[in-house]
Amino acid sequence: MQYKFLGAALVVSGCGFFGILLAVNCRRETEMLRSLCSALTFMCCELGARMTPLPELCRCAGGHCAGGIRKAFLAIAEELDAQVAPDATCCVTAAVNRCPELPRRCRETFLKVGQMLGRFDLQGQMDAIESARQECERERKELEDNQQQRLRTYKTLGFCAGAALAILLF
Amino acid sequence: MKCAWQELLMILPQRLRGEIDRRGKETLQEVRLRVGQRVELIQSAGSEFLTAEARPEDLSFTVNAASRYSPWSAESASEGYITAPGGHRIGLCGECAIHNGIVQGIRAPTALCIRVAREHPGIGNGVPLSGSMLILGPPGSGKTTLLREIIRRRSQKECVAVVDERGELFPLGGVFDTGPRTDVLTGCRKVQGIQLLLKTMGPSCIAVDEITSKDDCDALISGAWCGVSLIATAHAADFGDLRRRKVYGDLAQRGIFDQFLVLRRDKSWHLERSGYAV
Repeated sequence: MQYKFLGAALVVSGCGFFGILLAVNCRRETEMLRSLCSALTFMCCELGARMTPLPELCRCAGGHCAGGIRKAFLAIAEELDAQVAPDATCCVTAAVNRCPELPRRCRETFLKVGQMLGRFDLQGQMDAIESARQECERERKELEDNQQQRLRTYKTLGFCAGAALAILLF
Repeated sequence: MKCAWQELLMILPQRLRGEIDRRGKETLQEVRLRVGQRVELIQSAGSEFLTAEARPEDLSFTVNAASRYSPWSAESASEGYITAPGGHRIGLCGECAIHNGIVQGIRAPTALCIRVAREHPGIGNGVPLSGSMLILGPPGSGKTTLLREIIRRRSQKECVAVVDERGELFPLGGVFDTGPRTDVLTGCRKVQGIQLLLKTMGPSCIAVDEITSKDDCDALISGAWCGVSLIATAHAADFGDLRRRKVYGDLAQRGIFDQFLVLRRDKSWHLERSGYAV
């Protein structure tokens, strides 16, 4: 009997933990999108003021971020400095592949930005980055809307699923 | 001869770097990439061809690498060249992108001419180091190399200010020795640069490279008779040629330069003063 209670407790806490993990990842993704939007804004301003070449631009953008976004920008700068890839798009793709911890939306935004980097004159480049920033901002807002409710739902569902499983098993 | 060799290799396609490094480290002057043709290396002893042929992606890579994947920092592309890190000049040839009748850039390069920037200490031996001087010579005769050496020598005794519009004379990174009293303004047009330097840096001598347009000539004229010497380079076989060329007409007539150093393709030179050999 004790083992059944122990088993049930483990199942409930495991599923509950999974629900909490989902909630934490969701919050983390929102924070990373916010950081990425901020970095893209910085890139636009830096380009407009100083016409910074792409490797320095990405390095500076990375310096303004933390965590996975910082790591991704620094990886892009490294790929650009290596001067092996034929164009900036390939550099960004290679760098993003080196950062598996990036959430899906952040990864997609980086790849979209990569399609447009190093192809246009100054104004065209700034417009392209601004367009990517707006798209990123929209995605962040979508995630943030009803975030609290959604996070509570994930956690609750986790524990409930665990309880249901425990009842079924034991 | 000092050269930003690693920077040159980094702008070449990866598959060509090894062979060019082996064959040209000490004597390479130019690399010619032409789509569908064998890669040509122009050395001091003569020209040779590699077995490898240049592909369109090779040329695109070189242009991207030279501009550090940043077309906005290579505005000179609309004038048919890019200055790569290390001061190496890349001439572009291909389909022009034209807007309102003005060349905006080269859409898809089909030929590149990469001129290797090297320092030649001793090339300026015997060259006068005072007064205003115009260095004349055909393309590839070594005008920029000689100008660099003259600047370095003159800066041992006086303050020299340089308007390095294309970043070839003294590329960033300390590749070439500027001398102890040289101030370099990089990337600025000559007309603005000369006025800026006169107002702010108190030079005894102002040096600029490649006078090619009426604007450049006007820039020099505006800086003349301000109590500073001027040194510049121009494409012309000799002083007579200079006078015949319409763009230099004003410059030749106004007597801004005391002396004309005429370079030949074999790197020998002679001095003229207002049309007369010295």
